[in-house]
Amino acid sequence: MLLNKPLNGRSLPNAVSSECGLAVDVRHVTCNFGGVRALDGVSLQVVQGTVMGIVGPNGAGKTTLIDVICGLVHPSEGSVRVLGEDVGANSVALRARLGVLPQETALYDEVTARQNLRFAAALYGVPHADARVDEVLELVGLSARARDVVRGFSGGMQRRVAIARALLHDPSLLILDEPTLGVDVEARHQIWAHIRSLRAGGRTVVLTTNYLDEAEALCDRVAILRAGKLVAEDTPTDLAARTGRCLELECPPPNTANLRAALDGHSGVLRAEAADFGLRVYIAADTAPEDIVRAARKVCRVDSFRNRSPDLVEVFRSLTGEPALP
Amino acid sequence: MRAVRLFCAGAELEAAQLRSNFWFVALTALAAVSFLVMVSLFGLTGAYAPVALINLDGGPYSQSFIEALNGAHHSFALKYMSAEEAETALHSGRLVGIITIPAGFSADVARGITVPIDVRIDNVNVDMTNDVQRALPAAIVAFGKRHNFPGVRVEMVEHDVLPHDTGYIPYLVVSALALDAMVIAGILGAMTTAREWENKTVKMLRLSPASSGVVLAGKLGVAALVAATALGFALLAIIFVYGVVPVAPWATVFTLAACVAIFTCIGAWVGALLKRTLAAVPLLFGLAMPFYVDSGALEPTRFDGEAIWIIAHLSPVYYAVGVLEWAFHGLHVTPEPIYVNLLVLAAIAIVTAALTLGRLSKGEAR
Repeated sequence: MLLNKPLNGRSLPNAVSSECGLAVDVRHVTCNFGGVRALDGVSLQVVQGTVMGIVGPNGAGKTTLIDVICGLVHPSEGSVRVLGEDVGANSVALRARLGVLPQETALYDEVTARQNLRFAAALYGVPHADARVDEVLELVGLSARARDVVRGFSGGMQRRVAIARALLHDPSLLILDEPTLGVDVEARHQIWAHIRSLRAGGRTVVLTTNYLDEAEALCDRVAILRAGKLVAEDTPTDLAARTGRCLELECPPPNTANLRAALDGHSGVLRAEAADFGLRVYIAADTAPEDIVRAARKVCRVDSFRNRSPDLVEVFRSLTGEPALP
Repeated sequence: MRAVRLFCAGAELEAAQLRSNFWFVALTALAAVSFLVMVSLFGLTGAYAPVALINLDGGPYSQSFIEALNGAHHSFALKYMSAEEAETALHSGRLVGIITIPAGFSADVARGITVPIDVRIDNVNVDMTNDVQRALPAAIVAFGKRHNFPGVRVEMVEHDVLPHDTGYIPYLVVSALALDAMVIAGILGAMTTAREWENKTVKMLRLSPASSGVVLAGKLGVAALVAATALGFALLAIIFVYGVVPVAPWATVFTLAACVAIFTCIGAWVGALLKRTLAAVPLLFGLAMPFYVDSGALEPTRFDGEAIWIIAHLSPVYYAVGVLEWAFHGLHVTPEPIYVNLLVLAAIAIVTAALTLGRLSKGEAR
């Protein structure tokens, strides 16, 4: 794999020298912009070699948190250490070890993909720039379009150029702000494949996303932000465990309301909601699904039931009380 | 070495971006020539106002009077016409006025009879009327002096301050170079920085370990080079088309270089403040004309009153016009010595460059 190949004699950047093995250490960060509190006492740690997903609806503070980690925004309160360094010191050495894909892509769209990458190579002092540009273009599958002007690229292709730029200097920490925003399904899966290859290469990645399936598919840990506050942070599996198990009860629609009212009072039921097939019930981890089915059958006919783990959409709804993200 | 590489990378990128915006850049550069044309038209306007001369007399005194009229100070282009042609032309807007020397003019003058000269004027603006009111009495006095008519006891004896006269258009076109520098370098400088916000690439520059100041210097260097090239064409046009050759070429080159540097940097600031090329371009155009007119471009500013003269000192164009008029025509149009104007221009160039590269290169963390 290209990512794992030492480049021009340089070692791979995975050996981060942070004492505690944290690539990112955000502690009690608050950010105020005028009268708006964009982040409110957020603490977040990202272990080296893992992929951390930050999810939340628009305006939750995801991009602000990314900007804080990059050093573009100084927090009103709290501290941020990245790769063992205080971000506030604005160190050139630290910036050289970060690879960032901003939400806006931020490409010079009047020039070619190669010219964009050559310029970025100069900014980061990448040795043997032409060879490295060829490598990253190949990595993102754009070698054939290297000499085309970026303005003519689709959204997905522009994202891939921006990812290539973020990878150009072999960063120790890769920060991807909504890497699949506005791209089609095919491009989305290509980008997922790139991110998986980064994780396989042991690289630390912090990404924000509006898509819970994306976080579930890519991330070792997920942090959920809502209105500037960290609602939860855990592995996708453990987050799902917090929500309990999901029990889907198929019953005739006229009985749904009665059944929901009856189960809402059950001590093992965390939450119940109507669905087109009948009722979806979230039950505590220590509650036996059979008990709930028995209780339900006392109220109405239950044609069938299915017991499964909740997905991240359901976790998000459970933890934030908000409708699912798109 | 790394700084040189960064400078070159910035310059290379800017050159590629300007190439991709070829027509915008070409039309901006065309402004260099269009401003020369503009000031030339300004100089021509009213300076050659067509006035019909109808001579119904044909005698020796009428010829002498016409010579006096030609020699008087005015902005007329006298045209001999018949009464019918003149009337038609006046009503169709192709004449400013009609001067009619009546039949019997020579005989009446010889007999000592005062002869009325009929003048019809299209008084579309008072400037035209004033010109007639100045020119005809002057011609009449000159005519009377020439023929020793009694009663004329005064004559003008002119002593010029400068050894040579300078035509109004040659005076104007030289100052247009400063206007060219302001508009072209300003717009290209603004475009260079505003595009960083339009493309959102300013964020990437701040995130990179490179010195944004060096990158910006490379990018602005190319913008300045393009502006200087456009200015070079305007300079060649002044020399070869208008026939105005600088008597102090090095002062000319230095002044133009300083103007390009100053206005590229000022443009970069405007672009960084407004963050949009579309907003920066009309603002720079809008600012250019008042600064230009107030700079002594039309005549030395010191003739226009203390307030205007003091305000003019705020603009680099004032010092540039001061040097350029001296460098091309040997004129001193500012009370300050030429070397002071040169030093002020150099100081402004250094300060604006230092402020631009220093301040704009710093990250703006929120």
